[in-house]
Amino acid sequence: MKKFVALLLAAIMLLSMTSVFADEKTTLTMWCIATESDANRPAYEKAIAEFEAAHPDIEIKWEAFENQSYKTKIKSAMSDPDSLPDIFFTWAGAFLGDFADMGTAYCLDEAYKPFADQLPEVMLQNASYGGKHYGVPLTMNIVTLFANMDLLAKAGWDHVPQTYEDLTACCDALVAAGITPFGCAGKETWCVTEYLEPIIEKTIGYEALNDVFAGKATWNNEGIATAVATFQEMINKGYFDPNGMALGNDEVKANFIAGKYAFYQNGSWNCGEVNDAEGNFQVALFPVMNAEKATYGQVIGGPSDTLAVSSHSKNVELAAQAAFELGRGICHYGYLAGSGLPAWTPDYDTSAVKALVSDVAKIVAESEGMVLFGDTAMSADPANTYLDYVSQVYGCAIDGAGFIEGLAGDLQ
Amino acid sequence: MSLAKKAQMPSLEEGHKFKMSDILVYAGLILWALISVFPVYWMITFSLKNNAEIFGENVVGLPKYWLWSNYTQALNTGHMYVYFLNSIIVAAATIAITLVASFMATYALTRLVWKGRKTMNKFFMLGLTIPIHASIVPIYVTLSKLHMLSTYWAVIIPYSAFSLSMGILICTGFMGDIPYDLDEAAFLDGCGVWGIFFRVIVPLMTPAIATVGIYTFLQCWNELMFANVFISDDRIKTLPVGVQALSGQYTTDWGPIGAALALATIPTLLVYVFLSKRIQDSFIAGAVKG
Amino acid sequence: MKRTIGYKLSIFAFLLPALILFIGVLIAPIIMSAYYSFFNWKVGYPLTDFIGVKNYVELFTSKSIGFMKALGNSLLLALLSVFIQLPLALLLALKLGKKIPGERAFLSVYFMPVLISTVVIGQLWLKIYNPEYGLLNVALRSLGLESWTRIWLGTKETALGACFVPILWQYVGYHMLLMYAGVKGVPPELNEAAMLDGCTESQVNRYIIIPYIKPILRVSVIFAVTGSLKSFDLIYVLTNGGPFHATEVPSTLMISMLFLRNRYGMGSTIAVMLIILCFAFALLISLAFKEEK
Repeated sequence: MKKFVALLLAAIMLLSMTSVFADEKTTLTMWCIATESDANRPAYEKAIAEFEAAHPDIEIKWEAFENQSYKTKIKSAMSDPDSLPDIFFTWAGAFLGDFADMGTAYCLDEAYKPFADQLPEVMLQNASYGGKHYGVPLTMNIVTLFANMDLLAKAGWDHVPQTYEDLTACCDALVAAGITPFGCAGKETWCVTEYLEPIIEKTIGYEALNDVFAGKATWNNEGIATAVATFQEMINKGYFDPNGMALGNDEVKANFIAGKYAFYQNGSWNCGEVNDAEGNFQVALFPVMNAEKATYGQVIGGPSDTLAVSSHSKNVELAAQAAFELGRGICHYGYLAGSGLPAWTPDYDTSAVKALVSDVAKIVAESEGMVLFGDTAMSADPANTYLDYVSQVYGCAIDGAGFIEGLAGDLQ
Repeated sequence: MSLAKKAQMPSLEEGHKFKMSDILVYAGLILWALISVFPVYWMITFSLKNNAEIFGENVVGLPKYWLWSNYTQALNTGHMYVYFLNSIIVAAATIAITLVASFMATYALTRLVWKGRKTMNKFFMLGLTIPIHASIVPIYVTLSKLHMLSTYWAVIIPYSAFSLSMGILICTGFMGDIPYDLDEAAFLDGCGVWGIFFRVIVPLMTPAIATVGIYTFLQCWNELMFANVFISDDRIKTLPVGVQALSGQYTTDWGPIGAALALATIPTLLVYVFLSKRIQDSFIAGAVKG
Repeated sequence: MKRTIGYKLSIFAFLLPALILFIGVLIAPIIMSAYYSFFNWKVGYPLTDFIGVKNYVELFTSKSIGFMKALGNSLLLALLSVFIQLPLALLLALKLGKKIPGERAFLSVYFMPVLISTVVIGQLWLKIYNPEYGLLNVALRSLGLESWTRIWLGTKETALGACFVPILWQYVGYHMLLMYAGVKGVPPELNEAAMLDGCTESQVNRYIIIPYIKPILRVSVIFAVTGSLKSFDLIYVLTNGGPFHATEVPSTLMISMLFLRNRYGMGSTIAVMLIILCFAFALLISLAFKEEK
């Protein structure tokens, strides 16, 4: 027993002391969330291999962490900037904003110049603070309405409804045919925002919603209350699978792919998966609720996945250049794999892109306004207060008035 | 002796009465036994089924096809064996540290004579009431500053500290059973305090090793909160965190999740089958003297 | 043995490993937590914004944090533990303590759930409660009780109860074991004397055994109550405080303050409240048992 323990202890010591011996190569460190189970993993692997092949003198040492724990890890590294890697994955909006605010993120304005013709500046806007750019966008995503055309056909519809009246009629027909129109995972509140935010946007318009998310306008907006009421009316009419309340997103998505729901509204990163599933699927946007304020082409989303560079990096300029090249590569392979839409202008053959992905890309190209996901636009504390209220809306624990008054009180 | 007495005691009439109520008592006892075992039985059966069986064809029966592939899937793609090994490493190191620290401290607290040892003992017993969660922020911040998050030490050190109070409590009981004459004899033979500790006390404390070891083992084998917060690296994750992560990945495929759950449970149950008395005693020892 | 400087040094040396661990990991962090709780401190930002007791005031008054609700939930759990779980455990322990055939087998089976990791139990009950394929709803449907089926963990009304069942279920065996050990410790002469005096079994239980094992009952009650205040694992796995905070307990609230909202100051405040509550209840229960004596 004693020997065994001693051996084990020795083994632990060895394990914890293994270190990498430096050679002549310059090493850049990178943290990201592309774990082995992540859809983006192959894109990272390919982009990094491509980068290292193009720069034989640079080695990328990268580590991937699970999404939720990564948020904590990277945030606490912010107070101890020397522990940050040279390049790190971050979300645009308020998350990266904190790093820019504290001076731990490196300003990328200079490094951006050589890439300006491949990366439209508008794609950098979510990662820009005080007019300066701090992040390299990878892929972008929008909230997409996925439709199972086989199920719609059973209810007598051959196209995805484009107006709210049509959508209601379609849902009523589906319910009458014994088909659940929507699935939404109540266990993960961000999934509820994938429904609520487009409805709000299509009621009050994208500019108004942007101002609310940015804290420039009050939540106390009658239009938002109306949108909430619309959403809850849909729930009460039985358009949503009641079991969804206790399910996670993976379960709901699997149900949709298995043909249990006619519609599933979620991020466009699901395109690849839905495209490859058996069945006849189409992508669309949520219809307009108030034509005076919103248009069909207004979307929720934008480039959020971002690479940033630590201002404490020893090779900060090199890291900045690498961030752009890696970002371009990850975007390239991620787009081809269907795990996101390109923030970078494609300069490669895109004929292999999956049908649904290019359909969404078309929607984005024709978009008439964009609002970043609410929980990305806001910083952690208010974002979670917001998510709290959203989950109460889904459970019909509060109504529209409760939602806008509560948020106005708690957030402003 | 008491058995013989008991057999003589009840009269015929009473014996009949006993039987009726005995049946009821047994029915109750068996019912609760079933309630205790059933979820585990269900877990093991569904770990060997496919979704079609689990979801309707054969919900509670024994599996029809015995899908061992669920287990290979959990082990290979789910990295269960890595989590397993990590849990063993963490548990072994924690037990070792807890044993050393609590043996030494108990020796100083019970065998050595000094002012304030009662107070010191009470001080250590505070650890029995302090919730493990209460120190999570400072430990997290400190570990992060020392770059020790996502290492084995990030959980081994806190686990050892939190097992310490119980370790000292249990050791106090065992050490009290060792006659003081032995100390004196060893002292007369020329042993110092260290000599007495190593030559007299430690060899006689082997039963305590098992009791403290079992208690500590179960604490760290099952702990979730610290492991969940302090370890994000897949290579270091312990079983509870691993199982939790795995269930997140395979939400819709129940068989491999069942296999992972069973894999995390069966070793403990096997040990329990062989050491049930010992294990129960270690729990009693901890609580009754507290 | 002489009290030399060497002897004193040895004492210190023997205590050293335990002291380092204990002070470094338990005592110092508690003091640090108490200190942090006076700051408006967010992750990544320096610890400079001293706000006095404002965190405590906000904790108890803010409706959006809902600490009182979380505290109420864990107190409800404590009540259920003391009035359902413990009596059940006591009943089983009294029956098993009567030297019935198969007593060890029953004991071992009852204690088994205690040994299973709470994550495993949580995941298992998650499957049991699954609205579509879960054992519970499937069983209800096959019994023709379709209308009794619920989305157990997804509706406000049932989630809390659904979370409590596995918690209570898992630890019945633990308390039963402690009480059983106590029952076994009752001197057989006492029992026999009472039996000879013509006492019935329930009278023996009531007047001999239960008073005798009072110290163990005290331990059980303290463990049940402080355990309820600290409960985390199962609720974290089953609902993580949802739906709409219906199953929130102080620990889940603390974790979401820390790692979702990045509010380390407020998280520390909850941690401090937890320590205070655990000690206060342990003390209160001890006093209550002393009073009765």
